[in-house]
Amino acid sequence: MVQFTSPQNRALNSFDAGERPSSAGLRPVLHRVTPMDYERIYERYQELQRYVGWTDEDAARVASVAGLAEPFFLPLVEDFYEEIERHPAARQVIKSPEQLARLKATLVNWLRELFSGRYDREYVTRRWRVGWRHVEIGLDQVFTNVALSRLRRGLMRILAENWNRDIPFLLEVRQSLNSLIDLDLAIIEDAYQTEHLERQARSARLATIGQVAGGIAHELRNPLNTLKTSAYFLRHVKSASPEKVGEHLERIERQVAIADRVITTLTEFARQPLPTLSPAPLVECVQEALGVNPAPGNIRVHVDCPADLPRVMVDRAQLSIVLANLIRNAYDAMPEGGELKITGSAADAAVELIVADTGIGIPPENILRIMDPLFSTKTRGIGLGLAITRAILDKHGATVRVRSEPGQGTTFTVSFVRAPQ
Amino acid sequence: MSTRHPSVLVVDDEIDICNNLSDILTAFGYDVETATNGFAALDLVQRRPFDVALLDLKMPGMDGLTLYRKLKKLRAGTVAMLVTAYAGGDTTREAIDAGAWQVLPKPVDVGRLLGEVERVVGQPTLLVVDDDADLCENLWQILRQKDFRVCLAHSHDEATRKLQENPYRIILLDLKLPGGNGVGLMETIRESNPEAKIVVITGHRSELEETIDRVLSEGAEGVCYKPFDVNRLLEMIQHAAEQNRT
Ligand code: HEM
Repeated sequence: MVQFTSPQNRALNSFDAGERPSSAGLRPVLHRVTPMDYERIYERYQELQRYVGWTDEDAARVASVAGLAEPFFLPLVEDFYEEIERHPAARQVIKSPEQLARLKATLVNWLRELFSGRYDREYVTRRWRVGWRHVEIGLDQVFTNVALSRLRRGLMRILAENWNRDIPFLLEVRQSLNSLIDLDLAIIEDAYQTEHLERQARSARLATIGQVAGGIAHELRNPLNTLKTSAYFLRHVKSASPEKVGEHLERIERQVAIADRVITTLTEFARQPLPTLSPAPLVECVQEALGVNPAPGNIRVHVDCPADLPRVMVDRAQLSIVLANLIRNAYDAMPEGGELKITGSAADAAVELIVADTGIGIPPENILRIMDPLFSTKTRGIGLGLAITRAILDKHGATVRVRSEPGQGTTFTVSFVRAPQ
Repeated sequence: MSTRHPSVLVVDDEIDICNNLSDILTAFGYDVETATNGFAALDLVQRRPFDVALLDLKMPGMDGLTLYRKLKKLRAGTVAMLVTAYAGGDTTREAIDAGAWQVLPKPVDVGRLLGEVERVVGQPTLLVVDDDADLCENLWQILRQKDFRVCLAHSHDEATRKLQENPYRIILLDLKLPGGNGVGLMETIRESNPEAKIVVITGHRSELEETIDRVLSEGAEGVCYKPFDVNRLLEMIQHAAEQNRT
């Protein structure tokens, strides 16, 4: 079966409280259907028409029996609703006799359109809206399936019992009508699918928010913990020496800076402005980054870049974020100490920077996920460092590769665009 | 009774928090040591007992709960409070199941923390000397519920060592121990913990009859025969605790 919907296109659509109030009143907020949706739906409909081999002749054949079928629409509709009466779960979506009367009229109309012979964009849009209406009222899809199959059987019986032309033509008409009903069923299914995908996307978004919130909670509560305990000390320990008081004030400042960095990281990730590229000496940038992120005492740092290394096209401010992340990750990977080796080399149109540590390494099952936002195996941090790194490098037209051997170390290779001579 | 200050071990990978809690607890009269990871903490614990341990739950290398489980094996009598940025949920339940006294949310409410520490150090200490690890764990759980701080010793030597480290109000003593006789410990107890009340626990009613008579005549509070009637044992312990208080 060809799928009507593609999740990629839908994931980020907006929502509102529903243009039409839901008659069931209990439905969750539904997706607002936009003209773009109708465009997509019609394209899919045409694709399906091709798939089932639908032609104008099919349309003409169905239209040619409209007059024969029309007198039987009303009994068919009566039968349709009698069947619904027998299913409590289906019946409860119909609230009043007036509504039932209206529904019967709309269903007759629906059948008339089915035989109209015009299956254009407007037809598909109208049919999809009907399907969507059933989604909105919270009707289980099973019922529309069963109901349509009952209508189909009814129509086939009517044709057979009242046929007054040759049998081969009856068979052709039946085939065309079956295809048409299949296509209509696919439209209704698409409406249900749309809602299903929306719901999935919504819960995925909620899960992401939960994950981010968890990360932020941890990252902020630690500095808050120090702030709060220092405040307690300053307020309650009257005998504190001026040195002690000074120590606590310093701690407060330091932890405020830590909390601030959490927020900076988040906004950096959320914003990610386009880089302003200009030629820059890579070695100098590396030295700068090492200056801002000095190595712990048990880690040796070794920078090996030829003096004539070509300049690279970068946004220096953003590059400093990238380098800081790679360097700090390397430090974090070597809690017992080790060596960080940063090597620069010129390739054809690129300049490669290799950042290698002799740390704990990354297990194979994690290697594909390390650049995903919010993925982290550390006890500190939200898990955005490498995600930011990759996003920035993407916008630089630079690439990043990683190789890792658990217990041996990890090597990141960044390939920058070489500045023109 | 010893007049030493009650001791607190603070473990948090955030050095600032270690220092802050140390400053505060010291100002309130506690004897405080800090460690910034589980391994350093276990080193300290090997060397000396603590009345209370404040453990950060999420730490690199060894998380607070793992640390507590190891600590409890070494020092069952140390009462642990875990501190976490996400209180509630599975970890909290797991920590309580493992025997932690409290799980406190971050940022810590220092007033509450001090209250809890004060309450814990006021709980009577009790030493169970028995080589049956399962029995010890059961007694630990039951007596912890009754607000006793329960230390455990599984051998004659361990008991001797623990008797020197801490004053105990009550001692539950199994007469048959690996590496020595429970009776021999009576002497040590009388020297190191002259005020302690001793309850003998034994599974050997007939063979040890003479020995039991002897320990009773030497001042043991009573005897509980295994398998014991837990209510009866608790009554004896409560009674001993009250006697001892006056
Ligand atoms: C595939 C078979 C079905 C078709 C072709 C069909 C057709 C229609 C049509 C044309 C409408 C009017 C939509 C609008 O313009 O708002 C509608 C609405 C509705 N249908 Fe169906 N329907 C089908 C199955 C069912 C079933 C099984 C039930 C179960 C009770 C049902 C209950 C309703 C209700 C409650 C409404 C909304 C009425 C309102 O807006 O007041 N339908 N249907």
